[in-house]
Amino acid sequence: MQATAKAPRRIKEKQDNTDHSVHRVTPYIVIGITILIIITILFIFPLYWIITGSFKTQQAVNSAVPVWFPTGDTVTLRNYTELFSRPALTWLLNTVVICAAAMGLTCISASMAGYALAKKRFAGRGLLFSIFVCAMALPKQVILIPLLKEMAFLNLHNTLWAVILPTVGWPFGVFLMKQFSESIPGSLLEAARIDGAGEARTFIEIVIPLIKPGIGALAIFTFITAWNDYFLQLIMLNDTRILTISLGIAKLQTELSTDFGLIMAGAALGSIPIIIIFLIFQKFFTRGITMGAVKG
Amino acid sequence: MKKLLALLLCLMLALPVLAFADDTVEITLWTYPIGSWGNAETVDGIIKDFNAVHPEIKVTVQYLDYSSGDDQVTTAIEAKTTPDIIMEGPERLVANWGAAGKMLDISDLWAETKDDIIAASPAVEAACKNGEGIYYEYPLCMTTHCMVINYNDFEKAGALQYIDEEKHTWTTEGFLNALDALNAAGFVPTAVVYCGGQGGDQGTRALVTNLYSGQFTNADHTKYTMDSEANIKALKQLQELVANGKLDADPGIVAGDEIALFCNSTISIGFCWNASAAVSNKASLAEDVKVFPMAFPSDDGVPELQGGIWGFGLFDNGNEAKVAAAKTFIKFVCDDPAQAAKSVYASGFFPTRASLGDIYAGTDKAENGEYAIFMPYLGDYYQVTPNWAAQRTEWWNLLQRIFAGGDVEAEVAVYCQNANK
Amino acid sequence: MTVLSSRRMISPAMKRARRRENISAYIFMAPSLLFFLGFVIFPMGMCLVTSFFNYTMTDFSFIGLKNYVEMFQDAIFGKALVNTIVIVVVSVPVTCLFSLWVASLIYKMRNFSTSFFRCVFYLPVVTGSVAVTVVWKWIFNNYYGVLNYLCRSLGLISRNINWLGNAQYALACIITILLTTSVGQPIVLYVSALSNVDHSLIEAASVDGATNTQVFWKIKWPQIMPTTLYILVITTINSFQCFALIQLLTSGGPNNSTQTIMYYIYYNAFKLSRYGYGSAMGIILAVIIALFSALQFKLAKTDNG
Repeated sequence: MQATAKAPRRIKEKQDNTDHSVHRVTPYIVIGITILIIITILFIFPLYWIITGSFKTQQAVNSAVPVWFPTGDTVTLRNYTELFSRPALTWLLNTVVICAAAMGLTCISASMAGYALAKKRFAGRGLLFSIFVCAMALPKQVILIPLLKEMAFLNLHNTLWAVILPTVGWPFGVFLMKQFSESIPGSLLEAARIDGAGEARTFIEIVIPLIKPGIGALAIFTFITAWNDYFLQLIMLNDTRILTISLGIAKLQTELSTDFGLIMAGAALGSIPIIIIFLIFQKFFTRGITMGAVKG
Repeated sequence: MKKLLALLLCLMLALPVLAFADDTVEITLWTYPIGSWGNAETVDGIIKDFNAVHPEIKVTVQYLDYSSGDDQVTTAIEAKTTPDIIMEGPERLVANWGAAGKMLDISDLWAETKDDIIAASPAVEAACKNGEGIYYEYPLCMTTHCMVINYNDFEKAGALQYIDEEKHTWTTEGFLNALDALNAAGFVPTAVVYCGGQGGDQGTRALVTNLYSGQFTNADHTKYTMDSEANIKALKQLQELVANGKLDADPGIVAGDEIALFCNSTISIGFCWNASAAVSNKASLAEDVKVFPMAFPSDDGVPELQGGIWGFGLFDNGNEAKVAAAKTFIKFVCDDPAQAAKSVYASGFFPTRASLGDIYAGTDKAENGEYAIFMPYLGDYYQVTPNWAAQRTEWWNLLQRIFAGGDVEAEVAVYCQNANK
Repeated sequence: MTVLSSRRMISPAMKRARRRENISAYIFMAPSLLFFLGFVIFPMGMCLVTSFFNYTMTDFSFIGLKNYVEMFQDAIFGKALVNTIVIVVVSVPVTCLFSLWVASLIYKMRNFSTSFFRCVFYLPVVTGSVAVTVVWKWIFNNYYGVLNYLCRSLGLISRNINWLGNAQYALACIITILLTTSVGQPIVLYVSALSNVDHSLIEAASVDGATNTQVFWKIKWPQIMPTTLYILVITTINSFQCFALIQLLTSGGPNNSTQTIMYYIYYNAFKLSRYGYGSAMGIILAVIIALFSALQFKLAKTDNG
């Protein structure tokens, strides 16, 4: 079978990633790596600044002369004690719940829909896919008011569901899974049907293992998108107890204050779960997001 | 056994009755961060005091912030999920939501206390009602927005002679001389006229109108009058100062950034300041910054300061019981003899009832009392003029264009045309 | 196959099979369709409807196409459109090429190095827009920002430049920050795509004497084309919808030099309470994006043959 024939090759590539073709240290590579390192510093710097800033005194955070590393009388835990005197952990938990629920529901519904769009010939298939893709083009801001009205009608506004459900509806996941499912060999599905397997069994036992990397990628993208969707959270959630971490941090700022240390503490706290999720799901990426490139 | 069952049955029948007897009304309050009213601890304390007297009314509080609070309220209005009570100023309660017909007429709350409020400040009473005399806001506290200077810098530059240290005022001439002195002593940049597009415009407005005693709008608040002779003179003066390097202008920063610059001693004068800012930025001040609040410079030495008038308004949600409960809450917070002073104290601002007197004397926040000297200078509250939101954007754009070198008269004409639509 | 699909030759068995296929397909689509129709299409429909109304806080009257007509005469909308297209035209190719370049450098490294670099480039996305804004505001600060400090020390400029306050530079600054938050996902995708290029093809080519460059463009590039298409479409959509950065940093200033359609929509809908007008602009933006995407799909289809 083609699937099994592909598998050994992929594993072999993972263990032996170094390119054997031309393996000299050319000037191009040296310059390339140097530029890469410079850019890396630029990318790591914001996170470094946030973390060190969260431990600085208010005076140090606002100082005109940058305090590169807070020590002595510029270091303090006050920002974190202030942060936790608010229900920051509740906010964090709310955000994790929203993102995990959105992630789970999206993975299930999108993988099913992607499979159907890619592999099944059914009436209205082309049209439906076009609608899915075009819907991504509409900016979210303009549908927020109708969406809030809808949620108010369903009596779901000011609950976590008001944020979860629209996120699951967003068609990006279906697009991704459809691209992914293209690479499933039709012969495999045919063979399964001949063997008498029902739709459900085919899907669970054959399709899902093949598109697992795609599901992993989708999981992490959905989690991060839901986490960063500030505006939707702002409009749907008002109660202090169900705020998300980004909302909670934003509300910590009074109009004319310069309490950036507190903001940074909140941002640091908010980025920890997401970094953890990213590191966990990273290994799914190594198994090749081929987007239909490897054709049977 | 049967008797026991009978007793249980009676109790079970009684329970729903008990439930009916327990007629708690639940109301929601949305508040912007007005002093400590943005702090859950403070507000919970006030609600606890309220519940001691009125246990049948349950109050839930949501906290808004200035960057996104308006968006939340706007969407809530459209989706009909507005709260019962909202706490902010006439700019929103009267001129925006009130004018749009979303708020309830609360003239009945004013019946007994109108005279007391007028005694504190007539401007407050005038601001809380619309053109037809319908009251949409019931005020709790007020303050003036002022400026701030770094006393140490002024001292070192020999510029203290140009300010009236007792009254905290100065003349336009004194302001110009002070800028020269600061420049000569090397305290550059002296100040920054921030014209980024987000809030804090009360500082720049006050700066412009006070320089030559111009008015921002006409007397009945229907037209923006930035094209008056005095205002154009003021704008030209500022443009000149920026061109000569004596003053800075920056379209890339907003009020919050300007305050940060003042706190870390980059600039010596800040245009956006008030009692609340003093409290919340105390910990950020650099070593050599000594805060000294000042009124805006005016050509006759008598400034007209912008004010904040904060109070409560009721959204028209159509629920009679909740409206009654809400009014009870408001009355308690604002007028209850034991509570009123505490509520104002929590905000860090000043009472709108003359009868309350000085609430900061002999307390922890005694220094807040310092800002009370600006209260007599509270000027016209003109933020109720129509088309206010669009006007604000035009104002920032006007400043940006002027400081980029545009012709003042022409740019002001554009501003007036767009703002007075 | 073609014979069987001709209408005249469809047997009842075929019809049953096709109907079963349709039903099963829609059952698979059902969960997604439910969420999609309920929470995306339905609000979109309401949005389309309201774009024909003068829908403000106090009004809801039908005005037909007046919103659209006003839009095309609105000078600020025109400026916003130009700025938005500039952002897209600059950031999409730069993002794709930069991510491709970075990916080509790092995918050959040891697993740990690859993972490390991949994580690093994804960090700006992960730390959230508030944090990113605070840091970049500090970097671009006119008085004590790090960028001015560096440029002055290196002798590139003599006076501080007001990066975010200068109409000439503000848009470039926004695009720079946008790039840092956009390259994470494409790099991740490209690294995987490059790692999965058929090795035997590469070996065959190098045996035939092809140089590194030739190997790259003739063999690897066509293989990763589907990834490229996906990245192009998603980056285009994200660039068109760049909003949080503008809101937190410049509010469309100075003097509308960083005004984008997304921000202008937000401004009209939420600050001026002109929901109908905002909806109309949203619809137009969606149409523009859809056209761009359709173009990209077409180009990719012809390449794949």
